[in-house]
Amino acid sequence: MLSDEQKWEIIDNISGKTVTYGEYRTTIKDAVAEITVKPLTGIPIAMAVLYGFWSFFGAVAGFFTDGFFVKLFGGSETFIGIIPWLGEQLSNHQSSLFKIFIGDPNVFLPDYAGDICFEAGGVLTTGLFVALGVVLPAIFAFYLFMIFMEDTGYLPRLAVLIDTLFYKIGLHGFAVVPMILSFGCNVPAVAATRNLETEKERFMMMSLLAVFIPCGAQLGVMLEVVPGYVGMIILYLLLGFFVFGYVLNKLIPGRSPEMLLDVPPYHRPRWNNVRRKLWTRIRGFLVSAIPLMLLGVFLVNGLYLLGVIDWLADIMTPILTGWFDVPSETVAPLITAFMRKDLAVAQLGAIEMTMSQLITSVVLVSLYFPCVATLAMILKEGWQHSVKEGFVFLMGSLVALFVVIFLWGGLLRWILVLAGV
Amino acid sequence: MNVNKNYGAFSGYFAVFGIIVLLIGVAEIIVSLTGGCFEYGPLIVCDEEDFLIWRGLILLFSGLFITSSVNNMSDVHQQAKLVMGNIMIWLVGGMALLGMILGSIPGPEDGTWFNTFSDLVASYGGPYMPSLVLLPFTVIPVLILYRTRIRGQSKKN
Repeated sequence: MLSDEQKWEIIDNISGKTVTYGEYRTTIKDAVAEITVKPLTGIPIAMAVLYGFWSFFGAVAGFFTDGFFVKLFGGSETFIGIIPWLGEQLSNHQSSLFKIFIGDPNVFLPDYAGDICFEAGGVLTTGLFVALGVVLPAIFAFYLFMIFMEDTGYLPRLAVLIDTLFYKIGLHGFAVVPMILSFGCNVPAVAATRNLETEKERFMMMSLLAVFIPCGAQLGVMLEVVPGYVGMIILYLLLGFFVFGYVLNKLIPGRSPEMLLDVPPYHRPRWNNVRRKLWTRIRGFLVSAIPLMLLGVFLVNGLYLLGVIDWLADIMTPILTGWFDVPSETVAPLITAFMRKDLAVAQLGAIEMTMSQLITSVVLVSLYFPCVATLAMILKEGWQHSVKEGFVFLMGSLVALFVVIFLWGGLLRWILVLAGV
Repeated sequence: MNVNKNYGAFSGYFAVFGIIVLLIGVAEIIVSLTGGCFEYGPLIVCDEEDFLIWRGLILLFSGLFITSSVNNMSDVHQQAKLVMGNIMIWLVGGMALLGMILGSIPGPEDGTWFNTFSDLVASYGGPYMPSLVLLPFTVIPVLILYRTRIRGQSKKN
């Protein structure tokens, strides 16, 4: 048995042979790593990175959607387009089959001058266009930049930077991971809340991101429907995120511990890793989101034909027109939003309304309810400890949701009036 | 050769460059707040562009980073500020360039799939966003600075 002194002697011997001592020279990489986490220099850099993120997203998604998919589905002078071609295949335009799978017969009239891609409304027309032509390019652009931020090591630095702000609403810097993931898709973002330590933090983050953060697919469609107002809408939603986060932090009992984070050094991303991660995430979207999206269009078209949407619109009219000042036709997109929010925003683009009503409707679609995939994920995460806990999770989220819809959604109407939109 | 002397030639360049970037940032912020368009030669700043104030703020901070880095440029922390200031310009101008390239490839709406060669070339005609014009001024000096640093290090060793 060795004594402590003997052990230390062995350690000294080994370290004497293996460790070389000298002055460490700070490299540019170290210095860059340092200035990206210091608030004074880090915040302007974060502003620039997020601007780059957003510009990249807009440029790449727009390239595919406006440059090629609109022509592929809607047609051009030299190409008939998938949607008009499908319209020609079925002769009976008044049949239920046509209305569900192809869409509104008026869109296929020879003198129709509107946006056929968004306004057809069928499962195989607008459903497929939104899924493949709008959302897929948006998801591709979003995840590509996001993976680049992850793999270079910038994302943990953003977490450190934003920690102070998040701590004021009872969260910590790690919350930036589910938050940014949520801008891609809320489902993995809900799963990513597992990196938050307490139940209070997880409940708050899940509720806030499901309500206030529009997913990449939704952002892609928003860029098409309200291109000049997307930035303003995101700012309004982010403001809501922090305001309601602050309120929830005060109301919900529990603790919010401080963060201790090991920040990795910057490194060059490996193309193979980027490619693999990108494919995994896009495959996830193709497998889980596209069937849901098409099912959503199918259900809403079916409800239309059965008269359910008109009935709901009648009931909801006083609230929609009185409190939110949006047309009663918004009911259909709100129902679709439960299946796919991106598709709901696309449907809003086909309803005749003023710009301020359109902006309010887009915000309402974001706030109104988490999509079915996110809700399922929230329930799964909430229910993993006990049924009681899951029930509390669900009820708490619903109460928070109703308050948010009425306060934040209604407030926007008056802000837009004051802003003269 | 003293490594520090190598940076002396560049500090004047970056001081002027940083002030120009800073002024462009201020101009973009002012135009975004007051509205309208400001044209100077091939450059244009217009309030109709998306996120003009955001871009203006980034250029303002980038200019501050670059101008504040010219003092004692041999210090690695100062060089890091210089590098990040230039990367910030690239995040704004580089994305504008990407948008320009991607926008030039597809044909017009309701037209052909791809642009004709003459339309493709024409789409690169001005006027340009100032951050786009700043790009070449960031590349060359940073490359020279980098080479000088490497040469200096190898002579030291």
